[in-house]
Amino acid sequence: MNKVLFFAHLRDAVGEEFLTVNASGKTVAELKAELSAKYNLPKMETIMTAINEEFASHDEVIRDGDEIAFIPPVSGG
Amino acid sequence: MNERYSRQVLFPGIGKEGQAKISSKHVLIIGAGALGSGSAEVLTRAGVGKLTIVDRDYVEASNLQRQQLYTEEDVAEKLPKAAAAEKRLKAINSDVKIISIIGDATPELLEDLVVGVDVMLDATDNFETRMAMNDVSQKYKIPWIYGACVGSYGMSFSMIPGKTPCLNCLLRTIPLQGMTCDTGGIISPTVQMVIAHQTAEALKMLVEDWESVRTSFVSFDLWRNQYTSMKMSKAKFPGCLSCGDERTYPFLDHENMTKTTVLCGRDTVQIRPSIKGELSLDRLAGQLNSLGYTVKGNPYLLSVEMGKERMVIFQDGRALIHGTKDLTHAKSIYQRILG
Repeated sequence: MNKVLFFAHLRDAVGEEFLTVNASGKTVAELKAELSAKYNLPKMETIMTAINEEFASHDEVIRDGDEIAFIPPVSGG
Repeated sequence: MNERYSRQVLFPGIGKEGQAKISSKHVLIIGAGALGSGSAEVLTRAGVGKLTIVDRDYVEASNLQRQQLYTEEDVAEKLPKAAAAEKRLKAINSDVKIISIIGDATPELLEDLVVGVDVMLDATDNFETRMAMNDVSQKYKIPWIYGACVGSYGMSFSMIPGKTPCLNCLLRTIPLQGMTCDTGGIISPTVQMVIAHQTAEALKMLVEDWESVRTSFVSFDLWRNQYTSMKMSKAKFPGCLSCGDERTYPFLDHENMTKTTVLCGRDTVQIRPSIKGELSLDRLAGQLNSLGYTVKGNPYLLSVEMGKERMVIFQDGRALIHGTKDLTHAKSIYQRILG
């Protein structure tokens, strides 16, 4: 299983700070698409992903036990 | 060494040598809103040699809650932020050479201003300018420090050409519907936390302590008590058009910029974003409604009353700003809402 953490407006949209899902074998892009559809999330293409606190690209494959965090870049300043 | 900087000189990371370096360096800050006014004050008090600050807006009442350089008098006089910032910064430290530029930070202006600059600080409110800063940073080999915030959520990342990944490696495109302070609100402590990260990084760079520069991407939520630090050692994208071998600096190209046009015979400016995409009009209408704007719409567009102006936003990101002929002002209104 995998712990998936959400930040900023994603957390509001999901309604939880984290979810536990089985994402093992999926790519980051696949997981994003799945969650985006399930929770009606705003576009996730430009949302950064960390796997075990390390930046991960869209095609990186998630392994069992990996902790995933979705970090939306914001533009306010 | 000046008594004025004695406490900073006592700090082992800086010392006399570091202070001498700080006072010989030039920092360019893009934006004089919340982040820009805070960073400018920190670096002016720290005694940087020269500080250039660029902004296209004027001071409004809604700025005073968090934009620390401005006063009610500045609001009453509708002073340009750059001019009001220069006045205050000069009063804080007359040793520092302050240069203020009232204008839009276009790629052309950035390329002009960057000559002789040691560090660039991001204090803008939109990704188009950030991507242009990122390309300028790579082209002229000048480090820059990304910082952004909305609500209680903030982030920062330091980029050193040739050493770290760049912003284009991380995002690959401009986010079309970035959250901004005008849509998501903002509290001052979030601003201060981002400023703390950005200016600490800037000081490390100014004293040339490159080993101490943070290599991770930091993000935090002060209200929800979250703090994350993301390692970036694998984030460099070899095919990156801004920092890879086949680089073209795409965000310095006029073709990739937001286009503004005054519509003939009408008091209206049209804004066409560089990236075509689909906005979630429902979501945007909800955000604007909750902020007290009067929003009307249909599945194809939203019409938002914004004081003297009215903005009509289409689903592909195009907008008409009615009630102005000023291109810079119109672009500023647009990017405040859409990032």
